[in-house]
Amino acid sequence: MTDYKKWISASKQSLWRTVGLFFLLMGPGIITSNVDNDAGGITTYSLAGAEFGLKLVWSLIPIMIALIVIQEMCARMGVVTGKGLSDLIREKFGAKVTFYLMIGMFLTNMGNAISNFAGVAAGMEIFGVEKFLSVPLSALLVWWMVVKGTYKTVEKAFLVACVFYLSYIITGILVKPDWAHVFEQLLHPQLSFQSSEITMLIGLVGTTIAPWMQFYLQASIVEKGIKIEEFKYARFDVITGSVVVHIVAFFIILVCAETLFKHGIHIETAKDAALSLKPLAGKYCTYLFAFGLVNASLFAASILPLSTTYLICEGLGWEVGIDKKFVEAPQFYGIYSLMIFLGAGVILYPEIPLIPIMYFSQVINGMVLPFVLIFMLLLINDKKLMMNYTNGPIFNFIAWATALLMIGFTLIFLFLMI
Amino acid sequence: MEHHLKEFYFFSEFLNRKVYHFAGETLGKIFDLVAERTEPYPLIIGVILRRNRKREAYLPWEKIQQIEPRLLCSEESLEDPKTLHSQKEIIFLREEVLDKQIVDTYGAKVVRVNDLHFLRVDSRLRLVHVDVGFRGLMRRVGWERMMDKILQWLFSYVLPNQFISWKYVQLLSGSDLLQLSVSQKKLSHLHPADLADIIEDLSSRERSAIFRALDTETAAETLEEIDPKIQKALIETIPVEKASDIMEEMSPSDAADLLADLPEERAEKILEGMEEKIAEDLRELLIHPEETAGGLMTTAYLHLPPETPVETAMARLRAEAPHLDIVDYIYIVDEEEVLQGVVSIRDLLTAKSHQSLSEIKGPRVVSVKLDEDQKEVVEAFAKYGFRALPVVDEENHLKGVISFRSVLEVLAPDAG
Repeated sequence: MTDYKKWISASKQSLWRTVGLFFLLMGPGIITSNVDNDAGGITTYSLAGAEFGLKLVWSLIPIMIALIVIQEMCARMGVVTGKGLSDLIREKFGAKVTFYLMIGMFLTNMGNAISNFAGVAAGMEIFGVEKFLSVPLSALLVWWMVVKGTYKTVEKAFLVACVFYLSYIITGILVKPDWAHVFEQLLHPQLSFQSSEITMLIGLVGTTIAPWMQFYLQASIVEKGIKIEEFKYARFDVITGSVVVHIVAFFIILVCAETLFKHGIHIETAKDAALSLKPLAGKYCTYLFAFGLVNASLFAASILPLSTTYLICEGLGWEVGIDKKFVEAPQFYGIYSLMIFLGAGVILYPEIPLIPIMYFSQVINGMVLPFVLIFMLLLINDKKLMMNYTNGPIFNFIAWATALLMIGFTLIFLFLMI
Repeated sequence: MEHHLKEFYFFSEFLNRKVYHFAGETLGKIFDLVAERTEPYPLIIGVILRRNRKREAYLPWEKIQQIEPRLLCSEESLEDPKTLHSQKEIIFLREEVLDKQIVDTYGAKVVRVNDLHFLRVDSRLRLVHVDVGFRGLMRRVGWERMMDKILQWLFSYVLPNQFISWKYVQLLSGSDLLQLSVSQKKLSHLHPADLADIIEDLSSRERSAIFRALDTETAAETLEEIDPKIQKALIETIPVEKASDIMEEMSPSDAADLLADLPEERAEKILEGMEEKIAEDLRELLIHPEETAGGLMTTAYLHLPPETPVETAMARLRAEAPHLDIVDYIYIVDEEEVLQGVVSIRDLLTAKSHQSLSEIKGPRVVSVKLDEDQKEVVEAFAKYGFRALPVVDEENHLKGVISFRSVLEVLAPDAG
């Protein structure tokens, strides 16, 4: 690794230098965006396509811009301050605010953890494995992998398996959609204020710009120790990651719209969602989908509970780290184990509806997002903290607009519920 | 002030409390407490009030007439807190201590401050403890009494406070780090290996602040124990001259490893600033790839001609020991620096003082070649059980010595 670095920094040709540096620093953004497409993500995008066709596909463009802006802010805060997001929140806003925010994050992410085990259950059911076997086993596997420190080696396998998303892109081309119509839908925002549409919109934002990912991204940037001079590479990484998420999301929605929506199939189980891949994989489509779903679920299930535990313990000042023993960091291991085993335990409840769990956990993400976003905005515009790296007016406008719009949608949603 | 006052107070009892004037009007809410840096326990000299969102005012402690049941003060014309900021002997407790990470130099770890504990002496308060426990956190959130009741009812248990005496608190932000004398006294409680762990736990800004506060020798010893990636980042943040001084004090094998990781230009500048003899040794060490015997060895060992009497050898060892990495063995070399034998400190202690080194040396000498892979070096250590192994070139010239510590780093790079 160090040899590489030396070779790259010694390399005279600036192109190689740039490309090389990018690959060295690549990671946080790309990994974050792949975890972004977890069980909840695949389900929400599939539902969006199956229930509404291409009607909501336009929302991906503003969501992508917001995601780029928000993740860039996180990365910048990580590089400039060298601290995690919950660290910064605690130091600026004090114990009380942080404590309640951490409870909120715990509950929200508990929902995400449950959703990921729902993904495992739904995927493995297609392979004919009962959830009473698959879910406890996967929970043990994930817990053991992280606690024993073997996770880092497995991460690469998860990342490679993410080529599964390519199958949506290929299917999207195979089904030969009316591209002119697709682009028209993409560029013309439309929204009727029905509760189902508002809910879906909140879900789309929530799954793409999940609150916990901002904590995770900033932590990874801090851990990598990226310096401010190298920030442009990290920024490029973050933007690439955000664009990739949206290409995948776009094709999932497109494929589901062209297959399921056109034939009036509603997604009630994972099998229905898998039918969207039929043009590519024929009768094997269910296995292909199940493989992708299980991989995405396990990937997120190994990162999310750990990242949540880190952010909570950091905010509240408890010892963290898998290199610590249980007695040294009881809160750390306690919260981590609780998230995994409670998350898996809920799914074992008989007859629990898996698809709605995966979907609604994302809607909750969307509702919690503006709170996290407001904290981020107050932090990043603090001159004492960020020095010359505070937000410019455009970034501030986009981020504030995102926060306010999400609050607005949430209020409309609550109003329509009553 | 009144007499029915408590002996101890917490910061959380003051935070956001309203301060009233005798006439009955509100002056503002307490936003911060200001303490004077007096040894060993800082004295509270005033409060910062917030009247509305932006406007802050300073109220000296003498002007407060009453703490309970209401905070009353006699003065209406308040001072501007801006003048305080320029004074070095002052700590803003909320801005610099509360909710921040500090180093507990007694327990040797980084912890987060949940609350502050004051002792009342007559009518003044002194900061005596920081509270880092769960009880302090609950007190801040406002759940302390509820938690007490629940724990009492369920387990008949009272959660104790977790205090750290201010004597052992090293702040990581603000003015404390600029006060070198104060910092050094507190940080000197720590073993360099503990200091290294603490530095690894901090953010990059705090790392370099702490590191700069250390004296050269402590900095060198600490740097040896730090993760290579962070080592490199730290040495890049300090001026070249200081880097030269610190790396001169480090063990040559560690210094060479660090130099190899630095950009060539910077490494060269650091070498230029060093004492010539040390720089020369380091240059020699730098030639060897890291994963060979040459990359593991150090040049800080004692080598003597074979005819040296034991007495002289002992005296030399005693004199040079402070600068040596290897004190367990003396290496015997002839005029051409060819390795002749090894004398252990045990041989030396049991020999008679008039004997020469060649008389007491062991019958055979085990050495490794410069370009030998580090795996083989580890095996040689395991096989022969030495605490150090000499490294020679093709013609058996002694080039350096590998200490057991370097081998430990190869075997268990993440441990410690």
